[in-house]
Amino acid sequence: MKTNYLLPNQCKKIGWFLFIPGFILGILQLIFEFKFDWLNIKVFAIYDPYFSFANNGITSHNLFFHITKTNALDEILGLLLIIGSIFIALSKEKSEDEFISKIRLESLVWATYVNYAILALAILFVFNISFYYVMIFNMFTLLIFFIIRFNWMIYKLKKSIKNEE
Amino acid sequence: MKNSIKVERAIKNITQAQLAKLVGVSRQTINAIDLGKYNLSTTLSLKIAHVFEKNVNDIFQLEKSDWEKS
Repeated sequence: MKTNYLLPNQCKKIGWFLFIPGFILGILQLIFEFKFDWLNIKVFAIYDPYFSFANNGITSHNLFFHITKTNALDEILGLLLIIGSIFIALSKEKSEDEFISKIRLESLVWATYVNYAILALAILFVFNISFYYVMIFNMFTLLIFFIIRFNWMIYKLKKSIKNEE
Repeated sequence: MKNSIKVERAIKNITQAQLAKLVGVSRQTINAIDLGKYNLSTTLSLKIAHVFEKNVNDIFQLEKSDWEKS
């Protein structure tokens, strides 16, 4: 059976090249909250709300399809993480076959359970601004849990075969 | 589902790796089938039977547990 919904095996390497810098910079950015001024750019926004108490008065606007300014660092990091983890998770193994597909499916189901169990616990027990960080992590954890579990299962299989020899 | 792949491999004197190559799957897959850990597809069972020049029924047999609801 041919699977046509997976990327070619070479994409896995590209995925790691995108994911690792995205992950390291992302964690550092969350901790130190640095910004690069040269990444301040004008961007197109579908929806651009603004609200401020500056200068002893309330200024606000609610604009649609509007050119606005932003620091592009979080956009870049988010895309690195998403494209990277999609490439790692959904590239074919060197020997992708029906058994690997089964492990792939099981791992995806497992990752979905774990991801949403953790999110549910966070909804119950994490509040205020901390929950904002939970949501940031939760954007990427489903695929990260999948990658960990899937590769762990493949590693275990390979190891059990080596032990038999 | 029971299978006699181990026996057939011994008769033909081929390893798991060689069988894997002949039917186009990974070594892990043949190992999992050998151990009864994986219920293979019809296509793959037909391919394995073809390699051993036998009918699928001669290599794979239903067990009682296969009739129980999962």
